Amino acid sequence: MSNAILIALSVICNFILYLSFGSFITRKAGGSKETCPLLLSLIVGFFFYYFLFFIVCVGPMKYYRPLSMLTGIWVPFAVIVVAVSFVMNGRSWLKAVKEAADHVKSHPLISLFIVLLVAAQVFLVSATYNFTLDAAYYVANVATSVETNMMNVYDPFTGAWQDHYEMRYFFATYQIQDAVVCQATHIPALIWTKSVMATTVIILTNIVYYMIAGKLFAYVDEENEGRKINKEAAVLVMMAFMFIINLTFITIYTSSLFLMTRTYEGKAIVGNLAVAAIFLLFMSMNDDTLTVRPWLMTFLVCFGAATISSSANMLLPVELTVLFLPMIVRKKRWGMLFKYAACVIPGIVFSMIYVLYVKGYFVFYTFPK
Amino acid sequence: MQGLNVFEKGIGYLWACLSLYTGECAYLCLYAAALVYICLRGSRREKEIFIPCSVFLILTVYNPVAPVILDKFFDVNNEYYRFFWLLPVIFLVPYLFAKLILSAAKGTDRVTISLLILCICLVSGKYVYSDGLKLATNIYKMPDELIKISEVIHDDSDAEYPKAFLEYEYNMQMRQYDPKILLTIDREDYLYAAGNTYTDEMLNDEMHPQYRLLAALVKMQPVEEEAFLDALEATKTEYVVLNRNNPRTSFLLIAGLKKVQETENHIVFKYSIKEPYDFELVDYSVVY
Repeated sequence: MSNAILIALSVICNFILYLSFGSFITRKAGGSKETCPLLLSLIVGFFFYYFLFFIVCVGPMKYYRPLSMLTGIWVPFAVIVVAVSFVMNGRSWLKAVKEAADHVKSHPLISLFIVLLVAAQVFLVSATYNFTLDAAYYVANVATSVETNMMNVYDPFTGAWQDHYEMRYFFATYQIQDAVVCQATHIPALIWTKSVMATTVIILTNIVYYMIAGKLFAYVDEENEGRKINKEAAVLVMMAFMFIINLTFITIYTSSLFLMTRTYEGKAIVGNLAVAAIFLLFMSMNDDTLTVRPWLMTFLVCFGAATISSSANMLLPVELTVLFLPMIVRKKRWGMLFKYAACVIPGIVFSMIYVLYVKGYFVFYTFPK
Repeated sequence: MQGLNVFEKGIGYLWACLSLYTGECAYLCLYAAALVYICLRGSRREKEIFIPCSVFLILTVYNPVAPVILDKFFDVNNEYYRFFWLLPVIFLVPYLFAKLILSAAKGTDRVTISLLILCICLVSGKYVYSDGLKLATNIYKMPDELIKISEVIHDDSDAEYPKAFLEYEYNMQMRQYDPKILLTIDREDYLYAAGNTYTDEMLNDEMHPQYRLLAALVKMQPVEEEAFLDALEATKTEYVVLNRNNPRTSFLLIAGLKKVQETENHIVFKYSIKEPYDFELVDYSVVY
């Protein structure tokens, strides 16, 4: 029971953190047209948080500073950001929460079913036992970093010291953030990754699903003036089918399998949360409901995702291309091409650096040479 | 993808890759049907959202030439399937299902359509827990026995970081739970052992003594007792943990290893290293 409370409190802390960071980006984006700035702040905040963590982490890691030094920098910084954000955005959060409460009151049964739907997913991802080979790297890397008080210096598979950094994982600092939290809170790596982060990620993914479903059925409402359908019920039904598809579109390669069994891994976050977040931003820009800093949000999702898993380096530039280029051409907003290019660049640069490393052009050693 | 190579398959790689990706699932067919519906009867917004990206994806990611070209710049053999994640199946198919249900007249029609769609979903895929839903037995989501083995090793060992040889599954899990246990075999060696046998040349390779351990304990190949003990000594492996059913348990006892403790399904053996070695973390304080 105490572990369940610990996990629940940790997830709530995560959401406060993401909301605090995200609110700096989404401030005033909740104008009259955007109905869910609180939820958007959470999603954008998640990626913004990891983007900033990357900026702070790379220097100390490259120069083989101890993990405790990074923890000493990052934890006070995050606390200050939360405090400042609370002062600056507290009122708008309260207003958004009241609006959300009103919405729940007006659709109590459907809201309850949505909560139950998400709760079922939380149970499945946090209470089941799954053996995956990649956890031997990801989770063991968090545990190893905490144990050795270093970042990516020791081989997670065996515990042996490595003389150079493996560049495949160097820019994916998501696990180092997990290690920072584990070191600061003394929560074991396994509980943090497989329970807290799995729960956090599945809830965030469902939030994006909810927002996308809401948008799609808002269009149906707009276009079916004569014959309205119950939008809230439609959203619930769509989310239920999304859940069913995630339960049944299963081979060892599908993103649904990653979401349901390897939820805490960077690849699962990129393949589900980041891909869906970009899709949501595309829809919002396509219908012109998101007018405040939409490209900054897109940039942060792309860059943030690249710091979560290197899979994002190729995946998100392609997604941006297939979604945004046709939209830019159709709308003839050529100025957007530069913003699109800015979003694509981080992933491509990380990929190029990795290619140069593989071809032997450089190595980052874990000691002075 | 394992077993698939762009260089060997050429433009056939995409189909082979897609076939492995979808397996028994028919969701890509449902997506194609949904797309046709949007083309024919979709609203302006639906067309704007789903058609251009799908066409673009067919021209790029689903173009058989794309992996061949990409492979010239990047090694995409193992990861090309991830581009398939970009097809918005998870949005379009449930959206149309929900729309069909909610657009139907209330009553029998709606129930019938709902049941029909549910059946389509269930026959279109493979259930994620088709092998059974295994609930974790502890908060770490690790086998209870692995936790016990960790305790046994630490209780017995004088070293802060004892080194152990574990069988595949526990080898991949142990350091997630207990990073104080060092492992003799890394992931790549185990993956090699899974699909290959060791040649005499490999068994005599002094640079890779772990091959002898894997050959003897995993591949059940004949390895001389002395060569096996030399490999334990060279790799500084103090503990060997084997399943009770492993036919090599008696070999370990004959070779002189001591049984430390038995758990429900495993036996922890100890090898007394001739030249004790205590692993220490690198001291970086001199660098700062």
